[in-house]
Amino acid sequence: MAKYNYDKKYLKGLGVGPFLKQVKVRNQHIEAASDELKPFDYVSNKLVEQLHPEYQLTKVSKVIEREGAKSFVLTSLENKPLAYFRAGQYVVLDIKVGDIIVSRPFSISSSPKETLGNNSNYMITIKDNKDGFSSKEVNKNWHVGQEVKISGPQGEFYYQGLRDAKHVVGVAGGSGITPFIAMAEAIADGTEDFNLTIIYGAKNRDALLFKEELDKLAKQSKKIKVVYVLEDKDGFITSQIIKKYVEGDFSLFVCGPRGLYYAMDKVASELKLTRRRFRKEVFGEYGDPTNDKDYPKEFKDKTFKLTVIMRDKRYELTCHSNETLLNAMEKGGVHAPSRCRSGECGWCHSLLVSGKIYTPKEVDGRRIADSTFNWIHPCASYPLSDIVLEVPYNK
Amino acid sequence: MDKELHYDVVVVGGGNGGLSAATYLAKNHKKVLLLEKHNLPGGCATSFRRGRFEFEATLHEMCQMGEGETAGQVRRLLDDYGLNVKWVPVDEAFCSISLEPNKSFYVTMPVGVTAFVDAMEKAVPGCRASVETFLEFGRMFADGVEWLASYNNEPGGLAKMKMLFKWKDLMKLVPVDTDTMLRKIGMPDMAREIIESYWDYIGTPSDSMSFAVYSFMTYNYVYRKPYICHDRSHEISLAFDAAIRKYGGEIWYCTTVKSLDVRDNRCYGVTLDDGTYISADYVICNIHPDTAFKKMMDPKEVPVRDRKAMNARTMAQPCLTIYFGLDKTAKELGIKGYDTFLRTTGNNRKQFDSSNSLKTHKENCFTILNEAIPDCSPKGTCLLQFSKFYTSDVMKDVTPENYFKVKDRLVKEALDQFEEVMKVNIRDHIEEIVVATPVTWARYIGSPYGNVYGYIPHTWDGMFPRVQSGHKLDHTIKRLRFCGGAGTQMDGYSQTYLSGREQARYALMDMKRGE
Repeated sequence: MAKYNYDKKYLKGLGVGPFLKQVKVRNQHIEAASDELKPFDYVSNKLVEQLHPEYQLTKVSKVIEREGAKSFVLTSLENKPLAYFRAGQYVVLDIKVGDIIVSRPFSISSSPKETLGNNSNYMITIKDNKDGFSSKEVNKNWHVGQEVKISGPQGEFYYQGLRDAKHVVGVAGGSGITPFIAMAEAIADGTEDFNLTIIYGAKNRDALLFKEELDKLAKQSKKIKVVYVLEDKDGFITSQIIKKYVEGDFSLFVCGPRGLYYAMDKVASELKLTRRRFRKEVFGEYGDPTNDKDYPKEFKDKTFKLTVIMRDKRYELTCHSNETLLNAMEKGGVHAPSRCRSGECGWCHSLLVSGKIYTPKEVDGRRIADSTFNWIHPCASYPLSDIVLEVPYNK
Repeated sequence: MDKELHYDVVVVGGGNGGLSAATYLAKNHKKVLLLEKHNLPGGCATSFRRGRFEFEATLHEMCQMGEGETAGQVRRLLDDYGLNVKWVPVDEAFCSISLEPNKSFYVTMPVGVTAFVDAMEKAVPGCRASVETFLEFGRMFADGVEWLASYNNEPGGLAKMKMLFKWKDLMKLVPVDTDTMLRKIGMPDMAREIIESYWDYIGTPSDSMSFAVYSFMTYNYVYRKPYICHDRSHEISLAFDAAIRKYGGEIWYCTTVKSLDVRDNRCYGVTLDDGTYISADYVICNIHPDTAFKKMMDPKEVPVRDRKAMNARTMAQPCLTIYFGLDKTAKELGIKGYDTFLRTTGNNRKQFDSSNSLKTHKENCFTILNEAIPDCSPKGTCLLQFSKFYTSDVMKDVTPENYFKVKDRLVKEALDQFEEVMKVNIRDHIEEIVVATPVTWARYIGSPYGNVYGYIPHTWDGMFPRVQSGHKLDHTIKRLRFCGGAGTQMDGYSQTYLSGREQARYALMDMKRGE
């Protein structure tokens, strides 16, 4: 066996004995140990339960009436505090409308500190929206005592000190003010440390949510500044307006309706902001895509068969070309997992067994390999044919 | 009431081991159901999107790959499964930096035996002969391991005799630790520290790491090259998903198994957390045994050997991984090298010992994916990852309230060190940043304190004695087997794929024999 070119002298004094005894030695090590079954009590795993609960059972403990909106204070129904979070994150609420359950994301509009102590709570604010059947349901029917199942905190829309400028300009439209309320509260109570200038656009003075709270926060902390831009008085939020309030490096954070994002895209390019200085919160449903430039027009206004497979069950539904597969499933009573509803978080990741879909480019948050193997995000997918979809289970 | 659910085999956990086991069994005509608690396959083998970036979660390199005539057993296994994956060879073995005063080094080690030896000689003049010897041993081990694999690691009868003649040297060198042997072959200290750089991805310092296993692995990387896949490891995991379906298997995602139905030392099925019961002729767990035995089984049913084994063995490392999407190319930023070990000392026992707390841990492995796959991120950008491995439940002083602050502090410390050592500016180019702490890993893979490597492969509990115990001795409950990172083959992608196949094959044999 001179096949290998090493000097045998290095093997001097070594025998095969230890190899042949290896199993015996291992058995001896095992045999010598205690037979106690120790508990599974590791700090990191405990933190998982505290920080990332799969879902949290809550009840509405207070309802705050606002002009055109309601705030709900949620407290835990379980014997533990609600999960701590990063100011700017959201939770997903399961909302029962008639016989069906829909999931909707809402930013938490209170400070993370509110989860500590005995009265652990989140505040959620929901705008009256005559077209949104879930928000209509909530604002009409939810009262103190209402039980609500919610997700753990979720989302990437928060201040990250190493990445973001110390000065954040938060542009908000409508109920998009909610994550900024949480950030401002967190700055005021010392949880977060950065300068926040909130530029809040609304139709008119009456349409401003949280005005009283915002004014109070601005008075409370030098780090917080609030600017109202009223359409009927000041017009829209422009780069000129933003320039008035910034000096040097800043990060632009945006949360609001889709139109605001397009406007801020323009503003960001006018201000020559690099990508890392421009962050947008996911804005929820994309809406009807059939007028998109690259939408194949021949599928407009068509209804397709949608077969959903969840574990060992099959559901036969229909889906209109202007609605997402996720919406069609919810309407059809199939409650598949979802969170952001914006194509981003990947929670609804499902296998397109057969059929063709359209996903608008700006909400296509799929991974590269997803396309190779036909995995899609139903929250951002519109049918272009009959569809067979295999979805993950939802408890 | 629903009909009773029954499968030939239920595989619990869709990590690498579970995916491999499910594929093997489905391919062998078993009715297989794979249950995964997450909404994706792969466990650690996954990716995630942030902004315009898709980050690789964990894959650094796969071993025993190669292609064509030089294909190693892992490549042959994955080809045999029919996986549709775009494999990419990496033209770098590793880079290594030691900051130890008076003994510092910064080397880039190429692939290819000759090039590797030349680079070592250049880095440490006079080490050539010892490195050649090291790699020759490695070549012998590689052949020996292939020979053993041809007998499914259980040479019996005549083959057992043959092994004594043919692979005597391998047998002699399995129980010897790496440190001792490298000294014995006269390798200069600095060369030894460079060669031992890789220890962190295996999980035990080289004074308790089998020389045969370490040399085998190094030779495989140098000769066959490290491999990754083009579209992040999510590509491999989805390819497994597709293969399992192709062979008739079923996969249920977002499905958590609450308990294993073990009665009188035999497993009959599993109960899901929503109460659904699924009966099975066989159950294969791709779960850390500590999790299964302590959380998912009637304590009365946990065998004495497993109780003792859990107490005898040492939990392996949890990790902190930090992912940066940067808005400049690596070249523009002045960083290079695909996979680099950045150490404050060349002595890996010291590295290991200081890794048991957040405060004292200073080592880092950093990866620039664009160095292997230039188009893995948009033009003008790059992906940089830090991986730091701890040796205990390091989050012990962390509360929900200070968790995010601790997380930010750890990132800042790692970045400060990186920028100072590499003399570069990264922080002004961070477009996206994602941090996965041991808590994050515990959340996604459910292992004790987010440990990603199973058990530490001390010399007494290394790959060879585990493999020799993996068929019968460690199989303590009938119709239940474990695979994955805590399995016989140790941790890592290649090893866990092998582990899944190994235990699935044993399961088939058990079923055939009616055991």
